[in-house]
Amino acid sequence: MLDQWLFVGIFVSIAAVFPLLPLVMARFLAPRKPNRIKQETYECGIETVGDTWVQFKIQYYVYALVFLIFDIETVFLYPWAVSFDVLPLFAVFEGVLFILILAAGLFYAWRKGALEWS
Amino acid sequence: MQIETALLIEWVVKSTILIFALLTGFAYTTFYERRLLALIQVRIGPNRTGPFGFLQPAADGLKLIFKEELIPANAYKFVFILAPILTVIPALIIMAVVPWGGAIELFGRQIALGLTDINVAILYLLSVASISVYGIVLAGWSSDNKYAMMGGLRSSAQMLSYELSLGLAFVVPILLAGSMSLNQIIEAQRGVWFIFYQPIAALVFYIAMLAEVNRAPFDMPEAEQELTAGYHTEYSGMKFSLFFMGEYMKMIAVSAIFATLFLGGYRGPFVDTYPLLGPLYLFLKVFLSLGLMIWIRATLPRLRYDRLMAFGWKILLPLSILNVFVTAVIIVVFGL
Amino acid sequence: MRFSALKRDERAGYEGHIVPASSLLEVAKALRDEDGFDLLSSVTAVDYLTDNEEEESFFEVVYHLYKSTGGGAEVLRVQVPRENPVVPSLVELYPGADFQEREAWDLMGIKFEGHPDLRRILMWEGFAGHPLRKDWKEVYFEEEAKPFGNRWPGGQVYRVEDQNPYGKNNQYPDGFDPESWVETEDPLLYENLEKAAREYTEDIDTEQVVVNLGPQHPSTHGVFRMAVRLDGETIVALKPVMGYLHRNHEKIGERNTYIMNMPFTDRLDYLASMSNNFGYALAVEKLMGDKVAPPERAEYLRVIMAELTRISNHLWAIGFLLNDLGAFFTPALYAIEERELILDIFEATAGSRMMCNYFRFGGVARDLPAGILPRMKDLVNERLPRKIDELDLYLSENELVRSRGEGVGIITPEDAIAFSATGPVLRASGVPYDIRRADPYSIYDRFKFDVAVRYHGDVYDRYMIRVDEMRQSLRILKQALKDLPEGEILTGHNPYQVRVPAGEAYGRVEGPKGELGYYIVSNGKPSPWRYHVRAPSFINLTILEKMCVGQKVADVVVNLGSIDIVLGEVDR
Repeated sequence: MLDQWLFVGIFVSIAAVFPLLPLVMARFLAPRKPNRIKQETYECGIETVGDTWVQFKIQYYVYALVFLIFDIETVFLYPWAVSFDVLPLFAVFEGVLFILILAAGLFYAWRKGALEWS
Repeated sequence: MQIETALLIEWVVKSTILIFALLTGFAYTTFYERRLLALIQVRIGPNRTGPFGFLQPAADGLKLIFKEELIPANAYKFVFILAPILTVIPALIIMAVVPWGGAIELFGRQIALGLTDINVAILYLLSVASISVYGIVLAGWSSDNKYAMMGGLRSSAQMLSYELSLGLAFVVPILLAGSMSLNQIIEAQRGVWFIFYQPIAALVFYIAMLAEVNRAPFDMPEAEQELTAGYHTEYSGMKFSLFFMGEYMKMIAVSAIFATLFLGGYRGPFVDTYPLLGPLYLFLKVFLSLGLMIWIRATLPRLRYDRLMAFGWKILLPLSILNVFVTAVIIVVFGL
Repeated sequence: MRFSALKRDERAGYEGHIVPASSLLEVAKALRDEDGFDLLSSVTAVDYLTDNEEEESFFEVVYHLYKSTGGGAEVLRVQVPRENPVVPSLVELYPGADFQEREAWDLMGIKFEGHPDLRRILMWEGFAGHPLRKDWKEVYFEEEAKPFGNRWPGGQVYRVEDQNPYGKNNQYPDGFDPESWVETEDPLLYENLEKAAREYTEDIDTEQVVVNLGPQHPSTHGVFRMAVRLDGETIVALKPVMGYLHRNHEKIGERNTYIMNMPFTDRLDYLASMSNNFGYALAVEKLMGDKVAPPERAEYLRVIMAELTRISNHLWAIGFLLNDLGAFFTPALYAIEERELILDIFEATAGSRMMCNYFRFGGVARDLPAGILPRMKDLVNERLPRKIDELDLYLSENELVRSRGEGVGIITPEDAIAFSATGPVLRASGVPYDIRRADPYSIYDRFKFDVAVRYHGDVYDRYMIRVDEMRQSLRILKQALKDLPEGEILTGHNPYQVRVPAGEAYGRVEGPKGELGYYIVSNGKPSPWRYHVRAPSFINLTILEKMCVGQKVADVVVNLGSIDIVLGEVDR
């Protein structure tokens, strides 16, 4: 099993080097004549006003919190699903109950207005 | 741990083949998309470069590599260069666990068609899929461009809304096959493809995967009409094409995963006798799935950002929870 | 009239009343509230500059007021001295005066007291002078009126630029040095944007971002810019900025002879040149009187061409509205398929597909060529109805089109009237105001058709109304093609020069985008003294800010698309 992971490791390292190739090639092949106008920020031909890195209002931060919880809960389902056929009936029902709790949680968040886009 | 030299060579050769297959796949997916879009829109599309325009991707690549690469003066340079690389890597490595065929005999060795067969392949897919959003968010943030910024933020919002449904859609094939290994999931589809058992899960998966790869109608992060090009607005030349590459490779990868989970993967008639048919079947299924993606892009307008999130949370997620629940109950009750 | 301040305009060829500047607001308010003149169609100014010692030079601001229930105009004029001209602003009473007053300030230099945002609108902020004034001369100025006498001395083309490469009338504002000038942001604009944003409050204290949407791209309706203040993805304030395509159409029009302006109007709304011709021909014919009344066949041809134009324009508008919604060109390309056939007809008849130049004073330029009539009948009876049904079938019930269009960019009927919106934008808000019915011109009173109305005033209704209008246009076309009589197409011969008696006229038609009006003042010379275009795209944009505030970034583009503008007409 472990050597399979080693394999993934080899592949990842090859894949990590791979995107560097075109960048390096472009470095030698592409012209480079930067100037002030070219390097300006693009904003439809108008000079940009004000800072970009501001305290931007992310209107989905509540979603993000809900997501965090649900994502972890979803991962818990995986081992259960794998050993579904060997589990005793009680454990299977526990899993089903867990899904129901998940649904109830979603319903609760929904009713609380967490899923409204403010 | 002892590793044979032959095994090592096999691995390196297989990795290289896969990477080049993906690269060619990327090049010809762009061509496929342009020709199919043109066909749908009663146009001709690129047909001048080589026979039927087959050399068009090469011409595009050649053009892009000779383009000047601009970095905005105010950009955060290191991250700006890192972001396209970070986008391509997950798009490549996600294919590591997808099998392309059974085993063949070559030089007296059993060679499995497929890079690896790990027992938690699904977890691997899910984790790689979720890191792929980093490149986009970082690109948007480092460009110091307001459109890019908004594109990057939209992309993370989209990930939040669709990852869950995607995750739950993965549960169903696991339930049916009783394994997280993709090879065993394919084996379990020897008789009937899972799409026929589980059309709803397949549909949810397909929608979520469209959102995952930012394809229309979920192409919010690069919404042409309001954000010019979204997160990659400031990118040019090869860096731009890396984003492009990442997007199209991800399209191929998710199509392959979809085929594996719901369409029987590399399985098809006579595949047990002639294992080399496996990659061909997989290719056909990926080809059709890509065609469907292009068709959707050609027909549907874009969803609005907030509606998209509402759709993900209020329709797709309850639907997939319900689906997992019903599937589990049915399996228990009927002892399938 | 019951106001003592009102004085009937006694000049020959003029109508309406002269109001002293001091009582304008009072008169306008009474007209609006008591007499029902709630639609301020046009605001413009005329420079009556004279060399004659005995006469006095003055500016005249002209207001055309209409009832949204139909009927003729009430014309108000305010005469102010040329030195420091100040007129009270009507923005409080008629918000639709906003852009038009800014335009009058920009081009004519009339100050509107009480206007909340009196900035230049078509010229840039650093521009010196007010170009529509009669004593303002453009760079490379040659003569007051065309044709310029010195273009062919000795059979050689001679351009004034060749002789004098830097021009002789360059004017700069005080303290402006073109050599050292660098482009800076527009402080006034952003100040106003901030002012508008101050009214917005939110529970979370986040910073707002100023983003420019356009001119170079989002979204490609032309070089139109919206400066937007955003809180997250919500629009807090929006200011449209235009003028990137400004060429001072009106000044050039005043140099041209009357007939030279006909092809020039094609360039306004270049997707609907036939309608542009129509309005201009009507205005000049009004001035010239009955001797140029068009013959029957010409009237029919005019209506046919105008309605075909409307259909082709709406096909375009719908196709590209879908593009704005994010559909990747497929609806647009399908929608403009039949437009090509309409353009084929224009080409066969007028000689050009888009710049038709087809109308003449007293008729039209050419008769239909042989064999084109059956093709038109096929098109109108077969292909176009099928195409409209097809669009309706595939788009109207599309889930995404509905969800992106319904409830987005709502304009209430009151707002629509107050903001002087016309055309589909007004009718989609539930106001059945169509000039073809409200104030019939040409022979529209002979045809049976309904004024299409929709009642929600959202983007979806503005899309649907265009489908409805195309169907009504087809009804008119069917009748017109059936009844098309034989006969002359032009009263008199086709002249190189027309004689237009002194006076003024306001000719308006229901263009595809709204009320297209031409205000023309003649002093009996070969060129118009004043040539003003009431451009529907331009004035419909006045309401854009109100439509967009509080909505999402993605909706702005769609709202803009649903107004359907053409920059050639907005910027003139």
